[in-house]
Amino acid sequence: MNAQFIKTPEKRRIIEQLNEQFGIQELPFLLIESGKEKIRGFSGHLSKDEIIELGKILNIEVIGLYILKKEDNLFRLSLDATHLLKKQITKNIIEINDAQLQEWIRGHDLDTKMQKGIVVIKNHDDFFGCGRSSGDKIFNHIPRERRIKK
Amino acid sequence: MKYEMKPLFKERMQKLLPDEKDFQKYCEIVRIPPRNFIRCNTIKISPSELLERLSKKWKVIQPYPNYPEIMLVQDNLSPGELGNSIEHLLGYYYIQEVCSMMSPIALSPQPNDFILDLCASPGSKTTQIAAMMKNQGTIIANDLKLDRIMILSANIEKSAITNTIISKNDAIALCSKLSKTSFKFDKILLDAPCSGEGTLRSSPKTFLMWNDKIIKKFSRQQKKFIAFAVKCLKKGGTIVYSTCTHSPEENEEVIDFAIKNFPLRIEKIHLPLKCREGITLWEGKQFSDEVKKACRIYPQDNDSEGFFVCKMTLLDDQFKNNSSMSKIIEEIEK
Repeated sequence: MNAQFIKTPEKRRIIEQLNEQFGIQELPFLLIESGKEKIRGFSGHLSKDEIIELGKILNIEVIGLYILKKEDNLFRLSLDATHLLKKQITKNIIEINDAQLQEWIRGHDLDTKMQKGIVVIKNHDDFFGCGRSSGDKIFNHIPRERRIKK
Repeated sequence: MKYEMKPLFKERMQKLLPDEKDFQKYCEIVRIPPRNFIRCNTIKISPSELLERLSKKWKVIQPYPNYPEIMLVQDNLSPGELGNSIEHLLGYYYIQEVCSMMSPIALSPQPNDFILDLCASPGSKTTQIAAMMKNQGTIIANDLKLDRIMILSANIEKSAITNTIISKNDAIALCSKLSKTSFKFDKILLDAPCSGEGTLRSSPKTFLMWNDKIIKKFSRQQKKFIAFAVKCLKKGGTIVYSTCTHSPEENEEVIDFAIKNFPLRIEKIHLPLKCREGITLWEGKQFSDEVKKACRIYPQDNDSEGFFVCKMTLLDDQFKNNSSMSKIIEEIEK
């Protein structure tokens, strides 16, 4: 099992930064670092010690859900994490129109001028993950396999 | 392309469906593609919200009042249309045949359960169980091969499931190791690999691939799986055994084997589909009358695929010594 459990002080720092970036105040998960700067969240009832014990018996491949990735000292939330945490996300949201949405869900970048950084993409009530703004473009991060074809 | 029913397959199905009209209905319906069922992913959206959204583009109904998450799209859809919508991209629904939703319903998972899904890929039942548990408790979702694990993992991600640990193990080795530890499960789903006779509507190639040797091979493997799985249950815990096939060797014979070798009680289950009771006589083999409580789902009864599901409770966990297990395994291999 190639997973590092994130300790409480580090989890506190992560939540502080998520609060600064997106207004998120709570991550109701056991956090696990799983390579490539990715952090996963596990909401099950097993404790860290029990999972480690299980890992000695089973070939554990994946624990919980991919929640976020560290990128140049910023956090980028995964598409599905924006759904789970949508009630908490209050900052750095960019509301895109229906025409922009059609581009976004097909994996295209958006020509939109805004401050550099990571932004949460929203259309009406739906969240579509995060994009990285370079100032005049938002780079698409919808996973290839989730994009709309055609 | 239309594939012919192999003579032996036809003969076996006629034995299972002795009424000529019933058999004809079966033969007709297995030539028709299945209906478009989806399951609302209640982790992300409520059934009423999803229904409202989807109703703007398709004619969608909720055929089972007690299960509002089960929806049927009644339009004639173009190939891939269900999988290429924004709501599908967002993981608001899962494309799943209605029969396959029956094993999690029979399992009846509760939020704080510890559950083992032994042959979990592609994850339709795992994600349904997790949604019923509201992402609480824990599921161990296991499968054998990496390519299947990748599909399972992708579906779990898309459904935003956070209470699941995915493991890659041989089912028997996994249960053997787990049974020697203090990890015991409240519930186990054994949706066993099978000959797939119930999937003719979605996979007509099954007509071509089917042969009776495969049935015997699967039957032996399924008995081993259930024998080892039972060792991982808590006393009073439940195991649901399901297959997407009709062959009694892979269904009632496996259940009969399980209840004769382990302290298991078959439970009567109530599902939203029409079920026929398990059979007690097949090819000269007599099964316990208890197997009547198992549920056979035929395509012609529900305009669905075919399925088998049986729920059992473990009455006592003082049975697991290695010598008796060896005898049981020897018996299976004969």
